[in-house]
Amino acid sequence: MRAPRSLYSRLLVWLLLPLVLLGSLMLIQAYYDARRTADRAFDRLLEAATLAIAEQVQWQNERLWLDLPPAALEMLATGAQERVFYALYNGQGEFITGNARLPGDARQDVESGDTLLYRDIDWRDMTLRQGVRRTRLEDWSLRERFEVRVAQTREGRAALTLSLLRGNLAYIGVMAGVAVVMLLLAVRSALAPLTRLRRAIRTRDPRTLAPLELPLPRELAELRETINELLARMRRVRANQERFIGDASHQLRTPLAGLSARAELALRQDDPQAWHDALKAMRSTSANTARLAVQLLSLTRLNNPEATPELVTTDLDRVARTALHHAWHACHRAGIDLGLETPDTPVTVRGIDWQLEEALSNLIDNARRYGARRITIQVSGSPPSLAVEDDGPGIPADKRLLVLRPFYRGTSDGEGSGLGLAIVDGIARSHAARLILEETPSGRGLRVSLRFPGEIS
Amino acid sequence: MKLFLVEDDVLLAETLGDALKLEGHEVTAIDDGELARQRLAQAGHGFDLILLDLNLPGCSGLDVLAELRQRDSTTPVLILTARGAIEDRVKGLDLGADDYLAKPFVLDELEARVRALLRRHPQGQSLHVGPLVLDTVAQRFMLEGEPLNLPPREQRLLNCLMRHAGEPVDKARLSEEAFAGEVRGDNAIEVYVHRLRGRLKGSRVALRTVRGLGYVLEST
Repeated sequence: MRAPRSLYSRLLVWLLLPLVLLGSLMLIQAYYDARRTADRAFDRLLEAATLAIAEQVQWQNERLWLDLPPAALEMLATGAQERVFYALYNGQGEFITGNARLPGDARQDVESGDTLLYRDIDWRDMTLRQGVRRTRLEDWSLRERFEVRVAQTREGRAALTLSLLRGNLAYIGVMAGVAVVMLLLAVRSALAPLTRLRRAIRTRDPRTLAPLELPLPRELAELRETINELLARMRRVRANQERFIGDASHQLRTPLAGLSARAELALRQDDPQAWHDALKAMRSTSANTARLAVQLLSLTRLNNPEATPELVTTDLDRVARTALHHAWHACHRAGIDLGLETPDTPVTVRGIDWQLEEALSNLIDNARRYGARRITIQVSGSPPSLAVEDDGPGIPADKRLLVLRPFYRGTSDGEGSGLGLAIVDGIARSHAARLILEETPSGRGLRVSLRFPGEIS
Repeated sequence: MKLFLVEDDVLLAETLGDALKLEGHEVTAIDDGELARQRLAQAGHGFDLILLDLNLPGCSGLDVLAELRQRDSTTPVLILTARGAIEDRVKGLDLGADDYLAKPFVLDELEARVRALLRRHPQGQSLHVGPLVLDTVAQRFMLEGEPLNLPPREQRLLNCLMRHAGEPVDKARLSEEAFAGEVRGDNAIEVYVHRLRGRLKGSRVALRTVRGLGYVLEST
């Protein structure tokens, strides 16, 4: 199983990602703002320079004449070592004078008076900001159009943009830092109860099943309640197990005490007949005790959910035959007629053959111990079921649930262990089968059946 | 008969050994899996039946069995185990054991199984069920000292029942035995069983019905 990313990193990613995006947008915005502001400031200088030049343009000797005022270009040379270019063109686009043949601007005039156009141009591997002023000389005798082009390199603008941006950058940086720190603190504080819950669980004594008691926010309180419910169920299971172990220990100790007392008594006697009687009693007690130990083991294994074998297709007829073979000697010796009733067609279910055989042998054993003279194993097809029917005393209807409890015994003749039906019940449950205790059709004796869910087609 | 008993519990080993000796067998007992494995690895170990505990020190009974079956597939093996689960029986039978007895068991039952296994794998010339004797070489039956002449199907039937004397035998199996693979209904076998009963009547051998399953031959 691939572990999902931690809650902490998930929260951080989803909160920081928009923050970073927003921060970048703000930075871009700040850069363009600064650049626009710088351009606006420097464009004013361009405007002033073109105006200063335009004012010096004169008409002499039938042509345009410019006497360049030094101040016009000096105002453009700020402290940033910029290069400044200027040119004068006549209305036909012919170069009149200047220090560089600057390109024109294709845009149309927008107003009737002076037109001033700015744009960025790439000229001779330099990036320039150029201002173009279109105007005319006007007096009573002539109207001559001309164009003043002034351009400067961007150093001064870049320096101003940078210094404007720097101020903004510090502001954005502080904001971002504060936001990230707040975010980390918020995530940490939101997840703190989870850490507390983890510590509380980790420091618990592994033997205790007491409920978790610690104040938690609503979302985690639900988790705590779920854990507490699980613990409560485990407490009930453990109480059951403890009762079972206590009962089992009692059940095993009692016959062992009996055995040792009987042996002690026999050793005090000299009569061989008394020894013989004692040995007989001890044999029967030890056989019962051994059987009890076997049944305890089966029951423990049935109750262990991690050791459940896989259900496979199992032939009930074969299960019944095997069980009969195994129980036949004991029944035959006791003079009990043990038989089998099977349908003509084979019946299969999903099951574990040895468990079903064990269930049958427990049922046959029970019938034998409680005085049956005739026991029949029955297999039937619809619904698929296994049953053991006997002609013994039966179990009164009101006790049929009680007998499924471990160590419950129908009679107190000391023969049974009280585990047989509990084992059968466990096996029925692991097969999802219904365990049914009922009177036989003749009204005498008991019929115990395992009814399996559905047929295999 | 020579029996090999592999069992590590001292009390149980001694008791079983004594009981089987009282039955007239010669018993070799070993309490360690590894030693048992070595003893059985000798060519021609000479035992007629092996009684094998599964939970052994040294080497598991199932391993002993698996190794034995690689060389010797005929000597009958009866598994004894303290593990109550029938699971182990399945494993044991899959590995080639012939029968299984879960502890705790009563001595009577053990003796009956030993007798049945020895009968199923006759080493000698004859099979005995009470006063009924089968000469396995000549395939002739004797009842209370008198020869018992049987037609072939009844002969095969009685032969099968004698080899499994004391145990219930499936009708389907008897039918197969008697008709040697010819397909006949279960009911056909009843006719032959009825005839055999007639022949055994009055003797101390009885052919009983096991309701719903088949028949069992036993001395009364």
